[in-house]
Amino acid sequence: MDHELLLIRRAISGDEAALRALWTRHAPHIDLVVRRLTGGDADMAADIAQEVWIQIFRALPSYRGDSQFSTWAHRIAVNRTLNALRKTRRLQDLETEVQEDSASVEPDHERTFVAQSIEAAAAQLSPGARAVFTLHDVEGYTHEEIAEELGITSGGSKSQLFKARGKLRKLLAHLLDEPSLRSIRKEREHVAPAY
Amino acid sequence: MSHLPTERLAALVDEPPTGSELAHLASCADCARERTSYQTLAELANADSARIGVPITRWEQLAQRLVADGMIDDGAKRSARPVGAHSRRRPWVQAAAAVLLVVGGMMGGRYTAGAGLLPSTPRAPASGAQAGSGAESTTRFASVDEARAAQRRAQLTYQSATAFLAALDTSNRAPDTPASMRTRLAALDRTRQVMGEALQDSPYDPVINGYYISASGQREATLQQLNTVMPASMRLTSY
Repeated sequence: MDHELLLIRRAISGDEAALRALWTRHAPHIDLVVRRLTGGDADMAADIAQEVWIQIFRALPSYRGDSQFSTWAHRIAVNRTLNALRKTRRLQDLETEVQEDSASVEPDHERTFVAQSIEAAAAQLSPGARAVFTLHDVEGYTHEEIAEELGITSGGSKSQLFKARGKLRKLLAHLLDEPSLRSIRKEREHVAPAY
Repeated sequence: MSHLPTERLAALVDEPPTGSELAHLASCADCARERTSYQTLAELANADSARIGVPITRWEQLAQRLVADGMIDDGAKRSARPVGAHSRRRPWVQAAAAVLLVVGGMMGGRYTAGAGLLPSTPRAPASGAQAGSGAESTTRFASVDEARAAQRRAQLTYQSATAFLAALDTSNRAPDTPASMRTRLAALDRTRQVMGEALQDSPYDPVINGYYISASGQREATLQQLNTVMPASMRLTSY
C-alpha cells in the first residue's frame, strides 16, 4: 500500500511512468467492470473505459487513502459507466427483456469458460437488469447502494435482480444443469479459500 | 402446494424460505434442484468478481489524452513551471538528506558494530565488492515487481550484514566515551531534523519514514546510554 501511495503521489505530479504503473496494475479489473456493465458492445466499452481512466487520473488529488485505491477507482468506474449508459439512454428501460433471437448461449463445459458464459448471458439482459445483476451478484453491492447508483428503490433493485436471475437461469440451463458444474460447486464447498 | 415461482426461487439465494416453502422444498425434488441452480448461479457470479480480464484500454491512446489534458508532465511543462519557495527548497533538502543518510548510515553502522565513528585507516574495497557494486549500478529491471523484489532482497541483506557486524566485528572497537556518544547524538539529531523536513514533502515515503523512525529511536537510545555514563548531576533529559 505504501508503494502504491508513492505511485499515486508521483502520478499526481505528472509522472507518466507512475500513471502507467497504476493503469497496468488496475486496468484488468477496472476495464472488466466497465465491460460487464456495458454488455457486448466492445467499442462502446472501450470508449467508456478510456473516459473512466481519465476521470480516475483527474480525481487522483482527491484520493485520501481512506480506502484501497482499487476500491476507490472501482467506484469511479461504476459511476462513470452508469452515467455514460444513462446518456445513451440505455439505462432507462429497467425491464429484464431478453432478445427474441438470443434464447441461449453457446454451451461451454470448461470451468475456465464458465465466467465467460455468464458474461455472454448477462450481455443479453437489458442494460438496467444487467447493471443490477452485475452490481449485486458480481461486484457485491447492496440493494441500497444499487438503488442510489441507479436512482431506483431498493425494492425495485431486488425485483430486477430476481427477474435477471430467472432469465440467466434459463440462458445458462446447459451450464447450471451440467453434472460437472455441480461437482465444481461441491468442490468449492469443501476447499478452504486460498487466503 | 404448487411449485415455487421462478422469482421466489431466485430470491431464496439471499432470503430464507418461509415455513411452508421449506416444507415444500423438502418434498419437491424439482424445486429443491432449481433452488440449488440459483445458488450455483449466484456463487459463480460472485466468483467472477475475482477474475482478471484483458484491458480494453490502450496506454498509448490514454497517454495522448493525458498529455493533451496536461496530466502527464512531458518535460516542456516541467521547465515552464513557476518555481516557488517550496520547489526551491526541495533540492537542498534532498541533497542534505542524501549526504546525511550516507554519512549517518556509515557512522551508525560503525557505531553499531562497535567501531569508531570515523574510520582510522582508509581501506580499499575488495575487488569482488567493487565489481558487485558496479554491476548493481547498471542493473536493469524488466518490471516493477522485479525491482521491488530486488529492493526487498537488498534491504534484507543490509539488515543481516549490519546485525552480523554488530555481533562479530570487533576491529577498531573504540571505547564508548561520553564525547563519542555526544557526537553521535548530534549526528542523529541532524539526521532526524532533515528527515522530518523531507517528510513534509513526502509524508508517505517508506524510506524516509524508516530513516526518521530509526534516527529517532537511535537518538533516544544514545541519550539513555549517555546518561548511564554521566554523573547523576549532569544527566540529560533532552538534547
